[in-house]
Amino acid sequence: MDKNDKLAVSYRRRQTLITVLPFLALAGLFGALCAIVTAKGYRLDMYLKIVFNEGVVLAIVATGAVFIYTLGSFDISLGASTLFSATLGVLTYNATESLPLMLLVIFAVAVGCSLFSSVLASVFHIPVFVTTVAMMSVLSAVAAQLITTYGGALGGISIPSEVVKPLDKPLFKIIVLVVFSALCIFVFNYTKIGRRQKFLGGNPVCAQLTGISLNKYAIIAFVMAGLGVGIGAFLTLVYTPSVTTTTAGSIGMNIIVAIVFGGMPISGGARSRIYAALVGGFSYILLNNILMLLVDSNAGYGISQIISAVFFLVVVFVTGINYRTQILPR
Amino acid sequence: MKNNVGKKLIGTLAIPVIVAAVLWGLCAANGRSMIANRTSFNYFVIYTAIVMITTMALSINLNSGRFDFSLGAMAVLASVLSSKITYSILGGGAGSAPLMLALNVVVGALIGLASGGLYVLLRIPPIITSLGVTLIYEGVSFTITGGKYVMTEVRSASLSAFAGNWYWPLSIIVVVLAVIVILFDHTKFGYDYKALQNGQKVAVNTGIREVPNALACYAICGALMGIVGFLNMSRSSNINGGSLSFGSIGIMFTAFLPMFIGGYIGRFSNEKLGFLLAAVCMSMLNSTFAVFSNQISASAQSIINAVLLVVFLIYLNNEGLLRKLLSPRKN
Amino acid sequence: MKKSLSKLFALVLAVAMVASLGAMAYADDTVKIGVLVSDVSGEEALGFRAYYEDYIAANYDVTFTYTDQLEDAAAEKSAIEKFAAQGYDAILSLSSSDRVTQIETAIENELYYAVVSGMLEDEQFEQFKTSEYFVGQIGPSMDTEYEAGVAMGEYYAGQGVKNVAIYGAFIPNPMHVYRAAGLLAGLGCTYGGAAEKDAIVGQIFGDQGVDPSKIEGDIQVVAYLQGFGDTTFDELNGAISQGPDAFLSVGMATTFFADALNGAQIPYGDIDSFTSGNAANMSDGTLTYIAGKYSSSVGPIFAATLDAVNGNPIRDAEGNAISISQSYLVATDSETFDTIFNGDKGDSPIFSKDVLDAVIGEGIAYDDLVALVESN
Repeated sequence: MDKNDKLAVSYRRRQTLITVLPFLALAGLFGALCAIVTAKGYRLDMYLKIVFNEGVVLAIVATGAVFIYTLGSFDISLGASTLFSATLGVLTYNATESLPLMLLVIFAVAVGCSLFSSVLASVFHIPVFVTTVAMMSVLSAVAAQLITTYGGALGGISIPSEVVKPLDKPLFKIIVLVVFSALCIFVFNYTKIGRRQKFLGGNPVCAQLTGISLNKYAIIAFVMAGLGVGIGAFLTLVYTPSVTTTTAGSIGMNIIVAIVFGGMPISGGARSRIYAALVGGFSYILLNNILMLLVDSNAGYGISQIISAVFFLVVVFVTGINYRTQILPR
Repeated sequence: MKNNVGKKLIGTLAIPVIVAAVLWGLCAANGRSMIANRTSFNYFVIYTAIVMITTMALSINLNSGRFDFSLGAMAVLASVLSSKITYSILGGGAGSAPLMLALNVVVGALIGLASGGLYVLLRIPPIITSLGVTLIYEGVSFTITGGKYVMTEVRSASLSAFAGNWYWPLSIIVVVLAVIVILFDHTKFGYDYKALQNGQKVAVNTGIREVPNALACYAICGALMGIVGFLNMSRSSNINGGSLSFGSIGIMFTAFLPMFIGGYIGRFSNEKLGFLLAAVCMSMLNSTFAVFSNQISASAQSIINAVLLVVFLIYLNNEGLLRKLLSPRKN
Repeated sequence: MKKSLSKLFALVLAVAMVASLGAMAYADDTVKIGVLVSDVSGEEALGFRAYYEDYIAANYDVTFTYTDQLEDAAAEKSAIEKFAAQGYDAILSLSSSDRVTQIETAIENELYYAVVSGMLEDEQFEQFKTSEYFVGQIGPSMDTEYEAGVAMGEYYAGQGVKNVAIYGAFIPNPMHVYRAAGLLAGLGCTYGGAAEKDAIVGQIFGDQGVDPSKIEGDIQVVAYLQGFGDTTFDELNGAISQGPDAFLSVGMATTFFADALNGAQIPYGDIDSFTSGNAANMSDGTLTYIAGKYSSSVGPIFAATLDAVNGNPIRDAEGNAISISQSYLVATDSETFDTIFNGDKGDSPIFSKDVLDAVIGEGIAYDDLVALVESN
C-alpha cells in the first residue's frame, strides 16, 4: 500500500467516523440521559416520553427546513410561521368548531407563508434571509395582535383540550414523524428534487448553467418547509391546546442548531442530509435535559447555556474536521 | 466633472432629504414636531449613533460573508463587565461615564477578539461560531447579573450628563466614523480587507494574511458593539442581564435596513458615510414613531419597518428593470 | 461499526433498566415541591424564591425546585411532567401561559397544584375546584389588580393633581390592562364614555392600549406610553415635557424610568415591589406611591399545599379548593415603606414559621386560613 492509498484509507475512515458521529452523539446523549435519570431515581419511561414530546416539533419543522438549508439559504421565520399558523388554526376552530377546517387552515397558512417568502425572494430577487427576517417581524406582530385581542384576560387563545387530547399520544406522534420523515427522505434521496437542490446548494452557478431552475427548486423547498411548519403547529396544539405570543418562539433559532448538530453543513450542498434535523433536533433536546438534570439554581440557567454552547461547538468542530480548508470558511 | 459631483451629491443626499421631508411633513400636518425639545434631540443623536455603529459592526463581517449573531450579546456583556468594574473603582462618582466608555471599548474588543479567535481556531463557518458565541456570552452575562437588571452600577450623574448633552454622542459619531473610514479605506489593513472580501482565495494566494485580518475585524466589531452597549446604557440607565436562548439577537435585525440604505448611498460617496445618513433616516423614523406612538402600536411599527425593508430591497434589486420600465421607449 | 453501535445501545439500555429497578425502592420523606416560573429575574420573583428556598426550606422538611424560565404552555406542561417523573409531591405555579393545561397535567400525574400570587378566571376555577389535587389559589385576582389601580388613581386625585402622564407597562398583558382600567376609574375618568370596570377593560383589550383621546374627566391625561423599545425614551421625554403633576405607572416604571423621573423632579407612583432600589427612590427621589407584594405573601399557599400533601387538605364549606384574594400593600412615605420592607426580611418574614404553623396540621378550618391571609 503506497502513501496515497494509506491517505485514502485514512480519509475514508475519518469520513465514516464523521458520518456516524452525529448518531454516536445521539446515542451517547440518550445513554447519558437514561443513566442520569435512573441514577437519580426518576421514572425513565416518563422522561423518554417528555423528551420525545419536546423534540418532535423541532425535529419535524427542522426536517422540512433541511430543503431550504440544502440550497444554501436559511429561513429564520419558521418559528413565527408556526405561531401564526397555530393562531389562525385556533381562531378557525373557535369560529367553526371543525377540526378538519382547523387543520386545513393550519396547513394552508403554513405553506402559504412559506410560499410567499420564496415567491417574494424569487420574483424580486431579494436575498432569502432578508425576506424571512421581514416575514418573522410581520407574522409575529400580527399573531400577537390576534392573540391579545381575542385572548383578553386569559392572555392567550385556546381550543377545548378534549378536541385534540385523543391525539396526544406517542404513537400518533411517532406515526406523524415517520410518515413526514419518509416523505422527506423519499423526495430528498430518491427523486431529482433532492439531487438538484444539493447541486444548487453546492454550486449554484454551475447548476443553473445546466438548466436547473433555482426559483423552481426554491419554491419546492419552501413548500416542504411549510408542510413541516404546518405539522409542527398542529402537534404544538395537540400537546397544549393553547397559543400565547411566545408559543414556538425558540424554534426559529433551534432549527439552525439542530441541523448543524445533526452533522449537516449550514452552507447546504452535497453534504446535506435529511436525517440531520431529526438526529440533531433530538440530540439538542437530550443535551438540554441532561444539563437541566445536572445543573440547577438561578445562576445555573446561564451556566447550562454555556455548557450547551460549548458542546454544540465541539460537535460541529469534530463533524467538520475533514472539510478544513486553507482559507477561512465563510 | 461638475455633473459628476452634482450626481454624487444628489445620490448621497436624496434618501435622507426625501425621508426628512416626508416625516417632517407628516408631523407638521398633524400639528406635531418630530423633535420637540433639546432632550428629544439628545435622544435623536444617541439613537443615530447606536444605529450607525451597529450597522457598521454588522456590515464589517457580513460584507466578508461572515454572519454574526453575537453582536447584541457582545454589547450586553461588554456593558455588564464595564459597569461593574467602573462601579467598583469609582462607586458611581465623577468620571464614571468616560471610564465606562473606555472599558466598554476595551472589553468589547477583547470579547470580539475571543469570538474571532474561536472562529479562526475551530475553522467552522462563522454563522455557526456566532451561534455558539451568542449562547456563551448570553450565559456569562446572565451568570454575572443573576438575570437581573443592572441598575445601581449603571446609574451615575456622569452618565446622565453624557446622555443629556447631544454633543457627546455626536463626538462619538464623528470619531467612530473617522476611525472606521481611515481604518478601512486608507490603511493596509483596509486594503487587505477589501481584497479578501472580493476574492478570498486570490487574496490569500497573493500573500495577504487572512487570519490577522479576520481577527482584527472581530475585535473592531466587538469594540463597536461595546460603544453601542455604552450608548444603550446612557439612554436607559440599566442593562437587561436576563437575555438567554438568543434573546439578544434582535439588535442585529434593526441594522439590516440601514445597512442596505447605506450601501446604496455608498455608491455615490462613501459606504460609511452612507451608514451615517441611513442611521439619521432611521432615527427620524424612530422619532416619528414616538410622536405617533398612540396611533401606531409597537406591532404596527415592526410591520412598517419590515415592509420598508422589503420595498427598499425590491427597488435595490430590480433597479435596472424599473429604470427600463419607467424610461420612455425609443422607437 | 454497526456492531459497535448495537453493543453501545444494548449496554446503555441494560444500565438504564437495572438502574430503574433499583430506583423504585428509592423513597424520601421530604416533601418535594416544584415551582413553575416564567420570570426568573424580576425583583418580586427573586423575593418569593429567596423566601421559599432560604426561609421555608430551612424551617420545614421540604425542598423547592425551580424551573427554567418557562416561555410557553408547552414548556409549562413539560416541566410538570418532569416533576412528576422525579417523584415530586406538589406544584406551585407562578407561571400563567396556560393554567388549564397546567392543572390538567398536574391532576393526571397526581400532583397537588396551587396557583401562587395570582388567580384563575372564574370559569377556570369552577372547572377544577372540586378536584382533590387542586389545592387552590391565593393572590391578587384581576379584580384586585383593578382595585390596586383604583387606589393609586384615587390617591393622586386626592392629592389634587390636575394633569398626569400614564405608563401602561406591557398592555395587553391582562394584569396591566386591569390596573390601567382601575387607574383611570380612580382618577375619576371615563374611557370611551364608560366608567365601569368591564367596559373599560374590554375597550383597552380591543384598543391594545389606552387611547388618550377616549379619556374624559376633570384630571387631564396629558401623555400616555406603554411597552419598552427604541421609542420609549422619546415618548417619556414627550410625557415629561408636558409637565404632568404626576407620572402614574401600572408596572416597571421604577426599573425603567426612576432616573429620568427623579431627575425631572416629577412625582411618580408605580405598582411594583418593595425593594432597596425603591426605598432609595422614595427617600431620595420623587417616588411618592408604591403598591406591591411582599416576599412572604406566598407563605399561606405553601402552607395549604403542605397540608394537602400531608393528607390534611383545607377545603371550603362545600369541599371546594381554596380561593382567597390577597391585596397589595401600599406605601406613600419612606416610613411606611421601611416598615413593610424591613418587616419582611430574611429570618423574620411577615409569614414566619410561627404564623404559618397556625394553619399547618390536622383539622385546619378554611376560615382560619382566610383570617390568616387577611390579617397580614
